[in-house]
Amino acid sequence: MATRITDVHGHPSCRLHFWWMLCAVFVHLEETCSSLEFVWNSSGFGLFFNHEQIRTMSRVKRRTTHPPYWHVLKNNQRDDEKISSDNLCFVREVIQDKYKNKSPIKGSDLDIEKTVWDPKTKRSGVIARNIGVQHMWEKDGKKVICTVLHVLDNHVVRYVPPEEYAKSVIGTKMFKNRKPLGCLVVGAEAANPDRFTRQYCSLFDEVGLLPKKRLARFIVTPNAALPPCTPLTAGHFVIGQAVDVYGKTIDYGFQGVVKRWGFKGGPASHGATKFHRRGGTIGTGRDKARVWPGQKMPGHMGSERRFNRGLKIVRINMKYNIIYVKGTVPGPTNSIVQIFDTILPRRRFTEAPPHPTYFPPEDGTLPQEDIWDSSLHVFGSPSISV
Amino acid sequence: MLRRAVLQTFRQGLAQSFFKRNAVSLSETTVTHQTVETSDEGGEKFVSTQKTGDESGNTVIVAPPEFRFMYPEFLPDPAMETRNRLKEKLERMDMLQRRSVIEIPEFYTGSVMAVTVSDANSPNKFARFVGICIQRGGSGLRAWFILRNVVEKQGVEILYEMYCPLIQKIEVLRLERRLDESLLYLRDALPEYSTFPLDMEPERRLNNLVVPINPLKVKLRPRPWLERWERQNLQGVEDLNLPQRFYDKAEKVAKPWEKYDLMLHYRKTIPAEEQEKIFAEVQSQLQQQELKRKMRRRRGSDNEQ
Repeated sequence: MATRITDVHGHPSCRLHFWWMLCAVFVHLEETCSSLEFVWNSSGFGLFFNHEQIRTMSRVKRRTTHPPYWHVLKNNQRDDEKISSDNLCFVREVIQDKYKNKSPIKGSDLDIEKTVWDPKTKRSGVIARNIGVQHMWEKDGKKVICTVLHVLDNHVVRYVPPEEYAKSVIGTKMFKNRKPLGCLVVGAEAANPDRFTRQYCSLFDEVGLLPKKRLARFIVTPNAALPPCTPLTAGHFVIGQAVDVYGKTIDYGFQGVVKRWGFKGGPASHGATKFHRRGGTIGTGRDKARVWPGQKMPGHMGSERRFNRGLKIVRINMKYNIIYVKGTVPGPTNSIVQIFDTILPRRRFTEAPPHPTYFPPEDGTLPQEDIWDSSLHVFGSPSISV
Repeated sequence: MLRRAVLQTFRQGLAQSFFKRNAVSLSETTVTHQTVETSDEGGEKFVSTQKTGDESGNTVIVAPPEFRFMYPEFLPDPAMETRNRLKEKLERMDMLQRRSVIEIPEFYTGSVMAVTVSDANSPNKFARFVGICIQRGGSGLRAWFILRNVVEKQGVEILYEMYCPLIQKIEVLRLERRLDESLLYLRDALPEYSTFPLDMEPERRLNNLVVPINPLKVKLRPRPWLERWERQNLQGVEDLNLPQRFYDKAEKVAKPWEKYDLMLHYRKTIPAEEQEKIFAEVQSQLQQQELKRKMRRRRGSDNEQ
């Protein structure tokens, strides 16, 4: 045993040294007595060494800069500078003619089947923008951080029934061993058709919607299906319910090991030579004689799809379509997120929510503009005396 | 044309009314002004509204420039990455709601204030603290200020969040300003500069129009200090009497070019046009709340009589 095992700081690692000797003994024994039975674990000598086996999907590509191949080209690639001002005016007139006379859609206009809600129903979700964080106080004076989510102008683009969806690329993967569910394609944030390609605009032409900047799919049970052009608003949710918010986390770029994995690095002073924020050892040297897959190293951090589950809705503003959610959501301010009813078993719905979605009352009575959860202190009410 | 004229008046008003409560309208050649004053025989403060004429002849309400100093927490955090107009508007609505319940008076760093907070662990369930405001910050509902006092020879600082519903009452016992925006050096000063009696009575001012600046120069204790005060360009401290090497090092470390960096200052502040919009939105409600409070006080004093 000529090699000296040292740990990161250069001190001789006595513990490792002992185990090395033990291993050397075993190896010798095996060579001499082949009938020696020794139970090898799956990682060979890994059990004896203080090395955590990484079982993450570190080889799966987590980020792409391009959309899936079955998507149509979205943004207009044409160079519009050569168009004359007259032609530009004409184009604008055409767009106006095409999309004018769009009155707001009432619940009675759409033919929605009267379906019954049951606890296994999966309702549609909603696309929203995370517009910031606001502090609110509970009735006992405790401060809570609430994320403000602005529900954009969502409209259902189309509904794909379960049989059809199970044949799609994503559907085959998702419903391999389970009963297939339907898919609602919802769009948010209407924009000028000028900026999009013809193929992208054609997705909305069938239903007569202005093309939307953002599209999302929500997996729904057939009894929660919605016809195209149905608007989804903040009233889709109920005060006090738990939601899951899905978004792309903040993009930190290429980050070192201290920020990315929480390594301690090295000492700032006391003679440390060029070792302050580095990772140190990446392997044991003997066992497997290679670096294990999933070894934590510097790399791209952030910009990953994540869910924050079980966030409670504490306040809804119906006038501005705003939802206040207790806690924080993935992603930076002004980023787009998707909100779903929670899948956490203990926080699911026990009573029927607005099913399949919420529609303002037909008789013109305005709903309550600002709805607060009972646990929260309303700002206009008197100060709290504990 | 209007914008430039309005901006000019705004900025000139800023400069002139830095300490004055009453914004004196400066006449421009093209724009006519009307000052509407709400005066009061109780000698309480009044706020003037400037109404400038629009091109079409409609009046455009412009809040007086001193709102920027009286209500600095209405201005949002200047960092562009986290700004959203809708969220700021909703936050302002919530702030006004809270202000309709409790009076959050005008105060500056250097004012002596008393805050009553509901506290479960107190014998009376309410805790009252008197102190000098040494720092204020935050924007929106997160606005805070720190009060400092020396109680039984122990320096005590408490950070209060202005919009916390546990706060029952905020009184300004002495409204004045100091020569610095931050009085953190009081921690290293002699204790008499931070001591205020806990049963201090509110002081009435002779001249309600002007917020006085206290030109007090504070004496610091001998070193060691918590911060390098010689590097901070403090106006409100007496001569520090340090060896020359401290001042030499301070010069070496100083960044004198920062005062010429326009973009740096631009990024740290909200542009004047936006400030105008924000305060115009908020001004009518604040004025209404002021009037209601005055009425209540007058009715209260009448009842007493």
